[in-house]
Amino acid sequence: MPGATIVEDIELIIEDIGGGWGKLPPAGGDDDGDSGKRRRPQLPSSRRYATAIVIAIVSIVMFFMAMASAYLYLRANSNRWVPLHLPWIIWVNTAILLLSSGAMELARRRLAQADVRQFRKFWFVATSLGVLFLAGQLVAWRQFVLAGFYVATNQASSFFYIFTGLHGLHLLGGICALLYVSFRKFEKAKVSRSIAAEVASYYWHFMDGLWIFLLALLYLGK
Amino acid sequence: MALCMVTYDSGGSAAPDIPAPGFLARTIFNTSHKVIGLRYLWLALGSVLIGMFLSLLMRVHLVWPGVQIPSLSGFGGTPERYAALTMLHGSLMVFLVLTTAPQAGFGNYFLPLQIGAREMAFRVMNLFSFWATVVSLAGMTAAFFVRPDAGITLWTASVALFCLAALLTALNFTVTTLDLRAKGMTLPRMPLTVWAWFINAILSLLIFSILLAACVFLLSDRLLASQFFSPLTFLSQQPASLAQSTLLSLWQRLFWFFAQAEVYVAMLPCFGIVSHLLSTFSREPVWAERAAVLALCGVGLFGFFVWGQHMFSSGLNPWSPLVFSLLASSLGLPACVLLLSWFGTLWDAKIQLNTSMLFALGFVSLFLAGGVSGIFLARNDLAAASVSDDFVTGHFHLVMGVAATFAILAALFFWFPKMFGRRLNEPLGKLHFWLTFAGVYCVFMPMHWLGLAAHLRPASSGPTAIDTLGTSLASTVGQSFDGSLRTLVTVATILTVAAQGLFLSNFVWSLWRGEKTEERNPWRATTLEWTVPSPAPIGNFGASEPMVYRGAYEFGAQGVPEDFAAQNVAPAPSEPPLRTKQPASAGAKEN
Repeated sequence: MPGATIVEDIELIIEDIGGGWGKLPPAGGDDDGDSGKRRRPQLPSSRRYATAIVIAIVSIVMFFMAMASAYLYLRANSNRWVPLHLPWIIWVNTAILLLSSGAMELARRRLAQADVRQFRKFWFVATSLGVLFLAGQLVAWRQFVLAGFYVATNQASSFFYIFTGLHGLHLLGGICALLYVSFRKFEKAKVSRSIAAEVASYYWHFMDGLWIFLLALLYLGK
Repeated sequence: MALCMVTYDSGGSAAPDIPAPGFLARTIFNTSHKVIGLRYLWLALGSVLIGMFLSLLMRVHLVWPGVQIPSLSGFGGTPERYAALTMLHGSLMVFLVLTTAPQAGFGNYFLPLQIGAREMAFRVMNLFSFWATVVSLAGMTAAFFVRPDAGITLWTASVALFCLAALLTALNFTVTTLDLRAKGMTLPRMPLTVWAWFINAILSLLIFSILLAACVFLLSDRLLASQFFSPLTFLSQQPASLAQSTLLSLWQRLFWFFAQAEVYVAMLPCFGIVSHLLSTFSREPVWAERAAVLALCGVGLFGFFVWGQHMFSSGLNPWSPLVFSLLASSLGLPACVLLLSWFGTLWDAKIQLNTSMLFALGFVSLFLAGGVSGIFLARNDLAAASVSDDFVTGHFHLVMGVAATFAILAALFFWFPKMFGRRLNEPLGKLHFWLTFAGVYCVFMPMHWLGLAAHLRPASSGPTAIDTLGTSLASTVGQSFDGSLRTLVTVATILTVAAQGLFLSNFVWSLWRGEKTEERNPWRATTLEWTVPSPAPIGNFGASEPMVYRGAYEFGAQGVPEDFAAQNVAPAPSEPPLRTKQPASAGAKEN
C-alpha cells in the first residue's frame, strides 16, 4: 500500500541521515549498498505516483492558504466587508461530497478483496456523487445570483465565487482521475489498478477536506 | 541549432533497445531530460541577452535622457514605457534566467545523471512545463508591445502560467530525487548540487503557489471585476493612509511572500554548484559537508519567512519589523556556514585556476560583497536610513543577479564538455571573466554609494547610524558627484555588456570548433555524470544499472590510483577509511 511505502521512505530517510554519512557499502555484488538495511523496491516507478500526489497536495494547500490568508486579512482590515449568507444548497452539496468519499473507501476495500466487480460499482457511485456535487455548486451559484450577489458585488461575494470556482476546478481534475481509473485497461498500463485507485483516493479525500476547510472559512468568517 | 549537436553515443555499451523516434518526437515532443535541460538553457541565454540590452537602454536613458536611439523612437518615451521596460527587464532576468537556468536548465540535464537515474520521474509533465515556460516568455515579451491595460493583463496571465510550469518542474525534481536514485545513492552520498536542486524544488513548490494565487486574484479583478485588490476609482476616494495600510498591502504581502523567497530560489542551486566546483577544482573534499547541507536547508527555511523585510515602511504591526529583522539577520548564519565551508575547502588546497573555478571564486566574492550590504537592509533602522532605489538596486543585482550569473557561467564551463563533447576556450574564458568581474563591481558598487549619498544630502530629522557614519562624506556629496557616479555606472555597463561579446563568440565557436573531449572525465571529477560518454547517451547509463559506493567528494583518498575516487568505484577490501575534511574540533574528537 502506498501509504506504508511513504512511511517506509521516511524511515529510510531518517536512517540515511542518522547513520549513513560517508559509510562505505561492501564492494561489488547485488547488494544495494547499505548492508542489507535498505529495503528500496527494485522498481520505483509505481511509488513515484504516490509520492507525487502527496507533494502536489502540499503545493495545493499552499495555494489555498494564500487565498485563505487574503480572506482573513481583508475581513479584518477592510472597511467595505459585507457579511455573507451562504445558500442552503451548499450544505446538501457538502453531504454529497462526504458520501462520495465514503463510497470511494468502500470501493477500495472491495478492490483489496480482489472483488473488481463491486469495486467498479462503488467507484461509479463515488464518481457520480462527485459530478452531482459539481452540479450542486452550479445551483449554489445560481441561487447566489438570484439573491443579487455577483462576483463584483462585494469582497465577500468575490471570495465565495473564487473559492467555490477553484475548488470545483480542482475537483473536476479529480473526476477525470476517477474516470481514468474506471475506464483504463490496466492490463496494458504501467501502473496497477490498486496504485491508481490509491493515488486517486488520496486526492479525492483531500478535496473533501479542502472543501470542509473553505466552507468553515466562509461560514465562520462571515 | 545546437540541439543538433547533441549526438548520443551509446559508448559501446549495450544501451536499452529504443526504436528510432520520428521527427516530431525528436523536436517538439522530445521528452529527454537532457534535451529539455538544454532548451531551458537556450531560453535563458536568449532572455539574458534581451535583458542586458534593456538594462543598457535604461542606463543610457538615465544619464543621457535626450539621446534618440535609432529604430526605438517609435515605442515612445513616456514614463509608462520606461516602467514597462523595467518590468520586462526584471521579468526576463528573474523568471527566465535566474530561476530557469540553474534549476530547470542544469538541473534537468544533470539531476538524473548525478543520482544515477535514466530520466526524470514524469517525462510528459517535464515537456509540458518547458513549453508552458516558452509560452509565458512569449506572453511577457508581447505584453510590452500592446497597450498598457491589455499588457498588464497579458503579463499577469503569463506569470501565472510560469508559476504553473515552475510548480510542475519542482514536483518532478522532488519525486525524481526521492524515488529514482540509483542503488547506494543514499541521501548523504548525494552531491551538494543535487541537495541544492532538491531543497530548491521544495521551496519552489511552496512559494510559486502563493504567487499563482496572487495572480489569480489579480486576473479575477481585471477580467471579472472582483474586489480583492480594490479598484483605483475606489482607492482614489480614500485617505492616503487607508489606501496604504490595508488595501494595497494585501498585494504587497502576497508578492513579497513569494519574491523574497524567490531570491533564494535563484541562489540555492548556485550555492550547490559553487560548493561542487570549489571541491572539484581544489582536489579536496567539501569542508564540513554535513554542515553545508544543513546550511542549504537553513537558507530554504529562513528564506521562506523573511518576506516582511520588504514592508518596514508599509504599515506593519509595530513588533513585526523586529521579528522580520531578526529572521532576516538569521540568514547570515547559514550564509556564514557556507562561506566557511568554501574557505575551508580552499584552505591549503592545490587549486586549479581554470575559467570555471575563476567564476566560482568570483561568485564567492560577489556573494560576500552583496551580503555585507544586505546587513543594512535586514535591519529596520539601517534600512530606513539607507534604502533608496540605487542602494537596493546595487545590493540585489550584486548578490542575486550577478553572483548567480557567475555561478551559471561556472557551471557552463564545467559541464560544457559533458553536454556538447567539446571544451570552451580557456584563454578567452579567462579574459571574459576578468573583464566581467571588474565591470560588475564598477557598475554596482557606485550604486551603493549613490544610495547612501541620497540619504545624506537632505536634512535629517534626527541622528541615525548612517548619519554618524557618513557625516564627513556628506560635505563632499553634491549634484556633480551624483552625476559623475551615474555616468561611471553607465559607461561601465556599456563596457561590461560589450565584454559579453567575448563569451558569446567563445560559446558559438566552441560549439562547432572547440577542442573535442575524447575522455569521459576531463576534470577528473567524482560524480556519476562523468562516468558516461560525452555527450551522455540515451538512457544515460547503458544496459547496466549504476551502483554507488562512495560519497560525492572523495578527493585524495588513499589506496586509489588517482587523487579522486568516482562514486561508482567499489572500494578495495584493503582501502583505508575515507579522508574527510572536517572542522578541526571534529577531527580532534575523532582522534
